[in-house]
This record gives sequence, C-alpha cells and structure tokens, in this order.
Amino acid sequence: MPGIHRRALLNVLLIGILLLPAWVTQEPIRYFQAPALSLKPDTVLAYTVDFKDDVDNDTLFQNRSKEGYPVSYFRRIKTSVCFDNKCRLVDITLYWNVTGRYLGFELPKGEFLSKTEHEPFTPVEYARLNELLADPFSPLANFSYEELVPKSASAGAGVDAVSSATAKNVLEYVVEGAVYTTYKLWHLIYGPARQEVVSLTEQRLSPGFLLKILESPDASDKIWALNHIRGYVDLTPELRKTVLSFIDNNQFNRAERAINALEPKALRSDTLQLALLEKYVRVNYALKNQLILKLKEAPRLNDQLKTALARSLASANGELLSNTLDLFQHHRVADPETGRIIAGLLQNDNNFLARKAFTYLKNVKIEDRIVEKQLNAYRLKHNL
Amino acid sequence: MEKVKRRSALSALGVLSLGMAAPTLSKGEVVAEPYKVQKQTLKTDILVIGGGTAGVVAAIQAARAGRKTILVENGSQLGGTTTTGGVAFPGIFFAWGKQVIGGIGWEMVQEAVALNDDRLPDFSIPHGKQHPRHQVRLNGQLYAMLIEEKAVEAGVQIRFYETPTSAVFQKGNWVVQTVGKGTNTEIIANQVIDCTGNAYAASLAGFTLLREAVTQPGTLMFQIGGYDFKSLDLKLIQARYQEEIKKGTLVKSDFRNNIVGLLKSAGDNIQHVLGADSTTSESHTQANIYGRASLLKTLRFLRTLPGCEKTRIIDVQNETGVRETYRIDGHYKITHQDYVTGKVFDDSVSYSYYPIDVHDENGVLPDHLKEGVVPTVPLRALVPKNSRNFLIAGRSVSSDRLANSALRVQASCMGMGQAAGAAAALASMQNKTPLDVPFGDLRKLIEEHGGIVPGSSQKG
Repeated sequence: MPGIHRRALLNVLLIGILLLPAWVTQEPIRYFQAPALSLKPDTVLAYTVDFKDDVDNDTLFQNRSKEGYPVSYFRRIKTSVCFDNKCRLVDITLYWNVTGRYLGFELPKGEFLSKTEHEPFTPVEYARLNELLADPFSPLANFSYEELVPKSASAGAGVDAVSSATAKNVLEYVVEGAVYTTYKLWHLIYGPARQEVVSLTEQRLSPGFLLKILESPDASDKIWALNHIRGYVDLTPELRKTVLSFIDNNQFNRAERAINALEPKALRSDTLQLALLEKYVRVNYALKNQLILKLKEAPRLNDQLKTALARSLASANGELLSNTLDLFQHHRVADPETGRIIAGLLQNDNNFLARKAFTYLKNVKIEDRIVEKQLNAYRLKHNL
Repeated sequence: MEKVKRRSALSALGVLSLGMAAPTLSKGEVVAEPYKVQKQTLKTDILVIGGGTAGVVAAIQAARAGRKTILVENGSQLGGTTTTGGVAFPGIFFAWGKQVIGGIGWEMVQEAVALNDDRLPDFSIPHGKQHPRHQVRLNGQLYAMLIEEKAVEAGVQIRFYETPTSAVFQKGNWVVQTVGKGTNTEIIANQVIDCTGNAYAASLAGFTLLREAVTQPGTLMFQIGGYDFKSLDLKLIQARYQEEIKKGTLVKSDFRNNIVGLLKSAGDNIQHVLGADSTTSESHTQANIYGRASLLKTLRFLRTLPGCEKTRIIDVQNETGVRETYRIDGHYKITHQDYVTGKVFDDSVSYSYYPIDVHDENGVLPDHLKEGVVPTVPLRALVPKNSRNFLIAGRSVSSDRLANSALRVQASCMGMGQAAGAAAALASMQNKTPLDVPFGDLRKLIEEHGGIVPGSSQKG
C-alpha cells in the first residue's frame, strides 16, 4: 500500500514536471531526432570552419564515442532576429547527425525562443520547429526573403513576420510568428556546416563505423552509409553480410544502393557470387536486372552461378534476357553446356528471343556440333 | 522578218530550256529524277500510332513478345512529352514506399539515370505534399536516344514523320493509310494501339471521343537565367508585372499571374498556353506559336526589370506540350471516385499514382491521394466501345476529367502502354480482340516483362 502511494506521488510529480515550462524548471530546452549512433559522446573536438554566414562563430564541434567514432556535431549560434524594429539575440546550439542530417537543437538554461511580441514558443511550436528543420527538401531552400515577408520591409533584413503578412504558401513550412527564425535556422543547418559535417565524418570512415550507421533507425542514414562503402572502405565479411541483408523487395532504394556498394574486387569471391545468386531467385524483376548488371563488374563468373543463369534464360524475357546474354558475352561464356541452352532459344516462336540468341551465338563462337546444327537451321529458316 | 526574229528567239529559248533540262554534270553528279510518291503496303501484327510516353513502351512490349511491330510517329524522335515536350521528369513510379510501376518504362528511366550518373530520389521517404520529390529527373535527349535504341533492338520498325489519314477495319485486320515526308503507306495490321494522346486514330476509326468544353492549358518548357533570384526586389517586380497586365501588354494567364513564380522556376513547367491542342498540325502550330510569342514578349519585359537586365534564354523546347485533348468512350470510364479510393478492378492491368492535378488559368493545386491509396487502370478503359482489335494507351484513357488529370501523367501512361502492348500481342497471337484475351495470360505476359499488375506479387 505505501508502495502504491509512493508510485502515485511520483506520477503526479512527473506530470507536474512535464507540464511546467522548461524555463521555469531551468532545464535546458532540447528537441532532437533519433541519432544514427546511440553511442555516448566521450570526447569533443573543435574544428574551425568558414561557414560563410553572418553568425559570429567559426567553430564546429565533433562529439566522439569511446571507440573514436563521431556520434554528432554541434555549433553554437548567436544571431539577431528582429520584431517590429526591436531586435533580440537567438542563442541556440544546433546539432547534426554524423551523416549530415539535422539532429536537434538545444537552448542554454533559461533561454527560450520567442515569436512576435516576444511571446515564447509553446512546446507544440518547439516540436513543430524540430520537424520543420528535419526536412532537407523544405521549400525554404528556395524562398527568397521577400517571399517570406511580403510586407513593407521597415526593419530591414532579419525581421520576423508580425501578423498576417506571411504568404499562405510559406506558412506551411514555418512556425507562425517566427518565420525568419525558422528560415534562418533551416539555412544554417543546410548551409556549409552540413557539408563540413559530412567531410569530417568521411575522414573517420571504417567498416566498423559504417556497420554502426547501418543500424540507424533512420532510412536515409542507411542509404548514406551504403553510398559510403564503395571507394571508401574495404568490404569486410561483416559489412558484406549486412549489405547483402538489404537486398530484398522491401525497399527498392536501399536494395539498389546495397547492390551498388559491392565493388569489383569483392566480386572475385565465389561465396559472394553465390550469395547474389540466392538473392536473384528471390527478388523482383527490377532488382534481378540490377544484380545481372552488377555481375558484369566481376572479373569472372562462378560456374555454378553461370549454369543457373543459363538455365533461367528459358523463362527470361525482354530486358532480363538481353541483360543476361550481355553478361555472358561480356565474360565470353562459350562452354557447350551454356551454348546448348542458348541455342535452344533459336527455335522459340518469339522472334525477339530467337534473334537475341542468334546474335549471341554468332558473336561468341561455341565449338559444339549441336549448337552449330541449330545455328545452321536458324540461318536456313531466315535466309541468313 | 518579224516572223524570223520570233522563230530565232523561240529556238534560242528552246536551247536555253534544253540547257536547263540537261545540266552540265560535274564528276560524281547525276541528275535526280523528279520524286514520285509511291504507295506501298506493309503488313504487320501490331501497329502502334504515336511514339510518345505510352507508345514506345507499347511497341517495345509487343515486339519483345515476338510480334511484328510498326511504330508510326509524326515527329522526329521518340518519347513525346518526356523528350520533345521537355517534361523530363516522368512521374512517379513508387507509392507509399513500394514500386507500383515497373517493367519497360522503369527499365528505360533507370538506364537513363545510370548513364547520366544521376541518383534516384529516396522513395522510402514519403513525399508529403511535395510529390515532385519522388519525380525522377532525366536527361531528355539522352533518354530519347536510349529508348530509340531499345525499340530498334526489340525489332520495332520505326516510321518517323508519318501520320495516319484513315483507319478501316476489314476482314479481321485494320487497314491504316499514312502519309509522311515523301511517303504514302497502307499498313495492314492485326491490332492497332492508338498512343497519339489525342485518340486521333480512334477518331479516324469512327469511335466516339469525349472532350471537356475547356481543356487544361499546355506548357512550353524553357529555361532562363542571367539573374540572381534571391537578390531581386520581388515587390517591385510584381507591381510592374501587374501594370503591364493592366495595360494589356502581358497576358495574366500566360504565367499564372505569377511573375515571381516564373523567375523562381526559371521557366520549368510554369507557362500556360490556354486551349493548347496537339491533335492536328494546325492546332499544334497555333499552340507552338502562342507559346513562343508569349515567352519572347515576357523575356523582353523581364529585361526591363532591375536585376533582370541580363535575363536570357538558356533553352526552349521545340514544341508546346499538351495536357489534355480527347478521351475515348471506353468499355469502362474511370471516375474520380475510383481514382481517389484506389479501386481495384477484376481486369486492372496497371497502377497509376499521382495527385488529382487539374491546371487551369490560375495555376494548379494538386489534391493528394490518401495514405495507402494506389489507383488502378482496368483493361476496359483502354478499349473504345464498339471496337475490335483496337486499344488506346496514355492520356486518352476512358476516364472523367478529374481522374484523367492524374492518369495522364507519364509513369501511368508507361504502365498503360505496357499493358496495351501485351494485350495486343496476345490478341494477335490468339486471333482475338483484346477484351477476349484470358486475363491470366495477360497478367503472365506483363509480369514476365517486369510489369506490375495490381494484385501481383511484384508490387513491393
């Protein structure tokens, strides 16, 4: 019974704390997206950057984990935003994820963001700001200052919209009453700092670090990591396993990028080629084609893979058939077994298939009596 | 004496004319005989009329299915709206994280992306109200070459610069007369697919067409540059623009009453040509001339504005693209309600995915589909009433105005093109009319060629 009382009391206290404005509790106001890496920051490194903006601060901080992996970046911002000719300082720290994605913001203890008439942001507005800033494709990228505030520019640049002056099409992408604040923060996040974050992360790439990013709950982080394997790090067995796990019908982009991540050197491996064959059987038409195109990068084709693909020709059509024959031609596949399978297509009722097979057999000389016989029959039938 | 003079003058003229008839030939030169247009007759399994977004896919599908295929196109290249029209962002192939339009259209798009080192948008991130985020941007001219290569490789016989003049169904085949540059051809085809976008062949064949009293405007695509948008005094520019409209020197509807939009988009899909119609040479000529004249007039105006003095044309397409003309009266008419609820029919052959998107003189306000909704196209909507061995594919699909405003978009047209090509190929093989082809056969053929049929295992 006392236990229950204590729990109820704690609940009331917790609700009370949550309901209290943050600036009353003196807890800093923080709004964050899910990070790619859930590792705790251990050390902070400072980098001097030319941000090419009007903020009086040229330092970008990198948080690193115990393992030495970058886990996030931040920049302290102090900039003016004005309301009706009265200006105030916005004091905020912006955070980036290791992939350059917006991560969140934090205000110093006691600080808060305000709108017109210095009215503080509500928790809903902070949450909205957090979401708006997380959109890398926001039309804010292309709005000009005059489009944001199409009223008389009495206070000059840096003025926040006061009343109904904000254009209707802009309102969707800003916190109402804090147009310029939203705009300015968005541009700081997606400005040169973002590229700098990516560059700094690229300097620390390793298979282990990429494996961590590939575990991110955010889909775009996974794509980012897949785009940073080929040409950046060696495809270790662990990394390869994870990359292969993304080749499925669930998300086309992820699968397509995963296939792209496999470099020619890695394709020397028979194990990898056979793993791709296993995928080939399961994935949809568009991805099957991607896998066939990928195998063109292999220095040679594994025999088992080659035979399986040759057998699949009997049921292949259109693009898949063309791509598979192109793959064989690229690798100069001229063994009688494959030749006979392809020669079997010469009698197909579908002229397109028969012609493709003929073109292949004509270009790749296959020394086999049966293949020769079928080729001659085709030539005779079509007066070639 | 007078007579003698006249005779010698006449004989001199005779020598002159003889001299004209038999010119002095340089080495290697021959006298060309006067060109005579000779009528020829061609026989084929499938005739596709119109080599635009849907037509190319239909022709490649039919040819890859092994049917002898002729593709007649009245322009100089394939691709239509994507290439000649300059709308090189062919719509949306993914919906709610899943691929819904695949097959030949997607193959062509993906290959163009790869050959241009472009990146596909991340389709796993929802586009929200900004559907263009999922548009795949292409190099239009590269795309035109690639699809031509694919058509030729598939065995499609392409006939550029030709247009039909009549279409008559005789003894189980269509007899289509075409004319072109120095050609007069009779094409006997077992199946016809009208991909003109204007249901022009369907009209020649005598099938009923429908049209709105006011159709959507067309657009001449272009690109301008030479100014810094962010540094412009937009308020002043807008005021000057309104003055010109008041004076009648500029037309309000040409740029949606939005000069800022024109400057911001730099010409990308912003102009409106009211009443633009590509059905005949005369109507399309009118749309082209209007589009260019309006652009020139506006360019001259822009160059009088502060900060825009150096505005210049970077590129202009060869013709005004057209959004809407005629639709067939098909065995089924897709309604707005069907579209926004994602109705799946027993004979659904392809998906479509786009917001309801009616342009009018004021601009466009897309009406987005509800989450999870993916509309579909039944085969019956591709078949004109009272027809045999005849299909259409593309924006002439039988549909009401609102449904059509979304169905007309390129990716959807590609899906319809593949379905029509497959249906025509099977109908030709089975000696049937497309609606009599067993649906299982049709589904199988489309899927074998990578197409996605509603209810298919390929979706996702």
